[in-house]
Amino acid sequence: MEKLYTFLKYTFITLWTVFIVAPFLWAVSTSFKDFQSVNSKVTYIPWLDFEPTLEGWRVLVKSPARGGVDIVEPYFNSIFVTCTASLVSIVLGTLAAYALSRFTFKAGFVRNNDITFFFISQRIMPPIVLSIPFFIFLSTIGLLDSLLGLVVVYIVLLMPIAVWIMVDFFNRVPKELDETALIDGCNPYQAFYKVVLPNSIPGLIVAGMFCIIFGWIDFFFAFILTFTEVQLLPVKVVALNSSITPWWSLSASALISVAPLIIVAFVVERYLSKGNLSGALK
Amino acid sequence: MAKIDLSNISHSYNPNDTNPTYALNPFSMTWENGKRYAILGPSGCGKTTMLNIVSGLVKPSKGNILFDEKDVTNLITEERNIAQVFQFPVIYSTMSVYDNLAFPLKCRDFSKEKIDERVKSVSDTLRLSSFLNLPARKLTADQKQLISLGRGLVREDVAGVLMDEPLTVIDPDLKFRLRRNLKEINEQYKTTLVYVTHDQNEAMTFADNIIVMDQGEIVQVGLPKDLFERPKTTFVGYFIGSPAMNIFESEVSSEYSVKINNIEIKTNSNLTKLKDKNVKLGIRSEFINVVEKEGENTIKASLTRVEDFGNFKLLTANMDNFVIKSKVDRELPISIGDINLYIPPEKCCVYENEKLI
Repeated sequence: MEKLYTFLKYTFITLWTVFIVAPFLWAVSTSFKDFQSVNSKVTYIPWLDFEPTLEGWRVLVKSPARGGVDIVEPYFNSIFVTCTASLVSIVLGTLAAYALSRFTFKAGFVRNNDITFFFISQRIMPPIVLSIPFFIFLSTIGLLDSLLGLVVVYIVLLMPIAVWIMVDFFNRVPKELDETALIDGCNPYQAFYKVVLPNSIPGLIVAGMFCIIFGWIDFFFAFILTFTEVQLLPVKVVALNSSITPWWSLSASALISVAPLIIVAFVVERYLSKGNLSGALK
Repeated sequence: MAKIDLSNISHSYNPNDTNPTYALNPFSMTWENGKRYAILGPSGCGKTTMLNIVSGLVKPSKGNILFDEKDVTNLITEERNIAQVFQFPVIYSTMSVYDNLAFPLKCRDFSKEKIDERVKSVSDTLRLSSFLNLPARKLTADQKQLISLGRGLVREDVAGVLMDEPLTVIDPDLKFRLRRNLKEINEQYKTTLVYVTHDQNEAMTFADNIIVMDQGEIVQVGLPKDLFERPKTTFVGYFIGSPAMNIFESEVSSEYSVKINNIEIKTNSNLTKLKDKNVKLGIRSEFINVVEKEGENTIKASLTRVEDFGNFKLLTANMDNFVIKSKVDRELPISIGDINLYIPPEKCCVYENEKLI
C-alpha cells in the first residue's frame, strides 16, 4: 500500500511537471528558430535539427523603423503601472482591511461584512461592464491613453484583492496583540504599524503577489484604455501577431513576459518557506 | 503603583437595547496600593470584563474609575500606565526576547541604561536571561507567556498589573515558582497585582484579598479564611473549597437551632426572626468529626464510601436523602456502616434565600 502510494504520488508529480514544463521548453526552443525550422518539418534539437538564431529575440528590441516591434517600452510601462498600482492598493487596502477587521461599522443595514463583500463584488462583475464607465471617466479627466490613467484603473481592480486577503489575515491576528500594544504604551496608530503590521508581513506578501499577478496579466483594460501614446506589455505581445504567425518572436516575448512572475514566485516561495507564517502568536 | 477605585461601575455589551443584559452589575470597590487581589469565579461571570474596564480596553456603561483619586474613566489605555497579561501568550513575534521586554519602556522613552537594567532584572526573575537574543517566536508556549508576564512587570511605575489567568499554559512546577515570584515582586516593588483565575487554590495562595464573582455580581470580598469559614452565599460555599460545602435543606426550630430530617442541630446564629421558615444549613466537610456516641449535634448516617487522598480521608455518608461529606484524619480507623457525625455549632452557617444570616 505504502509503495503504491509512493508510486502514484511520483507518477502524478512527474506528469504534472511535464504538463507545466513542456510548453516552456517548446517556447524556449521555438524562440531560437527561424521561419524555415518552424514551418517545414518538426525539429527538436538545436544545431542537429535546426540552426539556432537570435532573430526572434532581436525583433523585440528593434524599433519599428528597423523592422522590429520594440517591446522594451511597453515592458517598463507594465512594470511601472503594475508596481505603482499594487503598492497603492496594498497601502490603502491594508488600512481598509485593518479598520474592517478591528472596528464595528454600522450604516443602516450595512455592517462590516457587507462592506468587505462590496469590495469583493467589484471583482465579481464582468470587466466589460466596467469598460464604458472607465472609458468615459478617464476621457473626462483627460487621462485616457496615459500611464496615470491606467494606474488609477488598476488600483480600482487590485484593491479589492488586497482588502479581501488582508481582512482575512487580520481576522486571524488575535485582537489581544493590538490590546497588548496599547497597554504597553502605543497609541492606536503605533500599535498598527509597530506591532500588527510587522506581524502581517506574510499576509502583505501574499496580497502583494496577487496584486502583481493580476495587474501584470491584465489585457482587457490595457487594450481598451490605451491607443498610441502608452502601451502595456500584454497588448504589445498580442500585436506581434500578423497574417504569418511569428512563432519565434511570440515565444520569446511570452518567455520574457512570464519571467517577472517566475522571479516573484521564487522570492515569495523562499520567504514563506522560512516559516515566517507560523509561530506568530501561540 | 496606585490605589484603584471602581465607583458604581456597571457594564452592558448591548446598552442601547430595550432590555440590556449586564455583564457586570453595579458595584464599587477599592484596590489598595501594593496589595494582591484575586478575582475568582466561574467562566463568563464578568472577571475579564472587569479587568478590561480597569485597563481601558472596555469603557464601562456607567460609573467611574479612579487611579489615586484621579478620574481615568475617559482616558485611553496608553494614557493609563497599566499592565495587563492575557490568558494566552501574546508576543511580538518579529522582535527578539529582549525587544519584547523592552517594548513598554521604549514606547515611553526610557533611557537605554534604564531599559537595560529593567530588562535584565525582569529576565533574571523569570529565568529568561539566556534567551534574550533569540527571536521571541522560537520559544515554547510557556516561555512566551513568561515574556508576556515580563512585559507586564518591566515598568516599575505602573498603576497596577492585571493578570487574566496568566498561568493557564504554564506547567504546574513552574506555576508554583512563578506565583511565589509574583508575591516577591509585589513585596519588593509594592505593585498592585490583580489576578483573575477560576482556580481557587491559585487565588488562595496568591492573594491577600479574594473577590468572588458570579453572574456579573460580586458576591464576596475577603480574606481566604473568611471565604472558607463564612461564605456569604451558598454559591461561595459551593465554589470555594474541595469538596464543596455541605448544604442541607432545613427548617428553623428554635432560637438557635434548625432541624434536618427531625434532628435538631444547634448553631451560633440567632434565628428568632425566621421561626418555622425553610433555611439552608452549610457546614464545611473539614469541620465535621466522627464521634463514637450519639449526642447533641450529631447525625447518625450510613457511611457509603471512603476515599483515601493520602493526606486525608474523604468520607461520604447518607442520611435518607442527604449526602454528607467529611474530611477526616488519614490515620482514623474507619469502616463502612453506621457512623455518628458531630457538627460543631460555631462552624455552622445558616442561609436564607442563599444568603448568610
